[in-house]
Amino acid sequence: MGEFIQFTLNGLMAGAIYALIAVGIVSVFKATKVVNFAHGYIIMFGAYFYFTFSVIVPGAEWAPSWLQSWEPAWMVAMRADLPMFSPMGAVLDWLSNLPRILFGLAGAVICNALLGLAIERALMRPLIGQSTFAMIMITVGLISVLSGTKGLIWTADAEFVPHIAPNTPIRFTVFDTPVFLFGADLVNVAIALILFGAIVVMVRYTRGGVAIRATAEDQSTAYSMGISVPRVFSRAWVLAATTGAIAGAILATRNGVSPSLGLFGFSVLAIVLMGGLDSYVGVFIAALAVGFLEAMAQWQFGGEFAEVVPYIAVLIVILIRPHGLFGQKEVERI
Amino acid sequence: MNQTRRTFLATGAAATAALGMPAILRAQPSEYVIGASLPLTGPFATAGQLVAPVFTMARQLINDEGGIAGTPIRFVTEDSGYIPQNALANYQRALATEGDALVAYFGDSTGFMKLVAPELTGDQARLMGSTSFASELANPATNPYQYLAGPTYQDQFDILLQNIKDQGGSSVAFIFSNTEFGRDPIEHGKMRAEELGIEVVLEETTKAQGADIPTHVTKLAQSGAEYAILQGYVTGVWPQLIGGARQFGLPTQFMGTFWGMEKLIADRVTEEAGPFLDGYQGVMPYRYFYDREDAPRYQTFAAMASEMFAGTPLENYMSTWALQTMCALDIAIKALRDTAEAGQELTADNLSAALSGISDWDTGGFFGGPVTMENNKIGTGRVYQYSAESRLFTPTSDWFTV
Repeated sequence: MGEFIQFTLNGLMAGAIYALIAVGIVSVFKATKVVNFAHGYIIMFGAYFYFTFSVIVPGAEWAPSWLQSWEPAWMVAMRADLPMFSPMGAVLDWLSNLPRILFGLAGAVICNALLGLAIERALMRPLIGQSTFAMIMITVGLISVLSGTKGLIWTADAEFVPHIAPNTPIRFTVFDTPVFLFGADLVNVAIALILFGAIVVMVRYTRGGVAIRATAEDQSTAYSMGISVPRVFSRAWVLAATTGAIAGAILATRNGVSPSLGLFGFSVLAIVLMGGLDSYVGVFIAALAVGFLEAMAQWQFGGEFAEVVPYIAVLIVILIRPHGLFGQKEVERI
Repeated sequence: MNQTRRTFLATGAAATAALGMPAILRAQPSEYVIGASLPLTGPFATAGQLVAPVFTMARQLINDEGGIAGTPIRFVTEDSGYIPQNALANYQRALATEGDALVAYFGDSTGFMKLVAPELTGDQARLMGSTSFASELANPATNPYQYLAGPTYQDQFDILLQNIKDQGGSSVAFIFSNTEFGRDPIEHGKMRAEELGIEVVLEETTKAQGADIPTHVTKLAQSGAEYAILQGYVTGVWPQLIGGARQFGLPTQFMGTFWGMEKLIADRVTEEAGPFLDGYQGVMPYRYFYDREDAPRYQTFAAMASEMFAGTPLENYMSTWALQTMCALDIAIKALRDTAEAGQELTADNLSAALSGISDWDTGGFFGGPVTMENNKIGTGRVYQYSAESRLFTPTSDWFTV
């Protein structure tokens, strides 16, 4: 039972991060009806921007030393008495890294926002009024462009980045089984849930959100009601890219920065289809379900099954409900 | 029959052609060519780019030593992107353009070595070393022209498990990537562990990149393994796994095999994430480059590198990956020279026979002592331990030969 709880918690934590990734796909789809196949690669760019601004730039010769490692005298004194890998040591490590963590997050969000804006202005806006299918194919092509560009800018090595929160180990016993959690993972989940909730609230209650929903319903009518549809498109892409930057940074802290981060987008695309392309609540439930199933498969059958079992569940759901758990059924009127 | 001038010339030309044909077909080229595919781009570009300069050094060194019985050598290196099909195309192109002058080839992966193996017949066969230590390749019956410049991954597991036994260990976890590279020694390792009375308490498969570190670490924690052997990684996953385990306070002793034993990676991890690789152990077939006192070959490399690569990181340190390539090239050159000095043609069959005949060979310090090529591999290695303070891997065992 203790092990079940352990892997349930692992799965739900992974699921929350999937939900944060999925929110970008849903936001773009809601506003533009475009399924963004390249979202995983936008996340990968977010991860590499975080790596650039939290590791490469602070490590440069010209960067101030406090950016790389902030170590006031009191911190040095405290650290001197601590054993290696102690919980307090983890907190002090985090404090010492805080300047570069904040710099990295700010850099990742700003650069990814600019990337999202550039994609929308250069590739999507010229196609407004054209077939949505053409826009979707652009996102497929974008995968190769982003993947190749990444290779030109950064190496293929798996790199370390600093955790966003103190990575203090948390241990407790349930039904005589020790349960282990990483402190940073709990904070990552909290960040993912807060961002997810904020976006849902924004779409539901703010003027910008209403504009997104109106545009999603009918672009021509939205235009005629005075909504700037191009601006809605831009907002949606910037929203997807910035949440993608945070998701990329979190993934990078958990698993290291590597080109494989781009592939997460495909896994999450399946989750989005399972939940319903235009339903935030649906993808949230689907993300947690897939995270849970992955963890259970990992626990019971090992890593190779963990990559297969959840997606069989996704297929079954889509076969029974082609529009996903909470997706709106399209009504075609002739 | 009257012998006219015309018939005389025709007969003479035919006779000359008949007598001279073998010499023309097997004419000694002005220089021999050794081809190579390297992953200069793609997931292992870092390794490929560290290995590439070795070929410049090797050409100068081998030619200064007299080439192959007086004939100089030249290398033809191309990028494969770590895609076996690209490497195969590179090999076929080298065969087409260089012909008989191409006497050996260096491959970049297990995938390529397995892909090319069925093609190595007749005129298409060449002596072939590579970056791979795949156990399947160490079989002269099925892969007569391919060799390993060290022990197989199975041998490396044997060395590590023996070391665990010698240290009094009783439980081990195998954590490996879901690749051919990762799975290679696992079944063999389980059998060997059972023979040694070591319990395998966890077999954990991970992604080769971007693995879910917290989940794998929790499984390791719950297994209670005293030792964990990591297999099938190069620059990623293994440091993150060890980092996660250390942050949890797990006492597990981590061990790796050749591709997880590079000082440059360990140093970089220590620089970026702290000293948690301190105490990490693993098997290495070769001496590290800084261990040059009893290695005259390394001293030669060092003298050349300080001149050829002045101002670059290669000036003072050759990576283990570069040493593996250099060792593979030295083995090929040894087989080529032995064959040429015996007055035989440098055909793949003759070179394969010379390869099998390498016995008690002093490599100049790559290994702990003279080595013998058995089953197209050199089954030697020893266990090293990393110190985050000194930033060095230092030996913790004698040399094992398996």
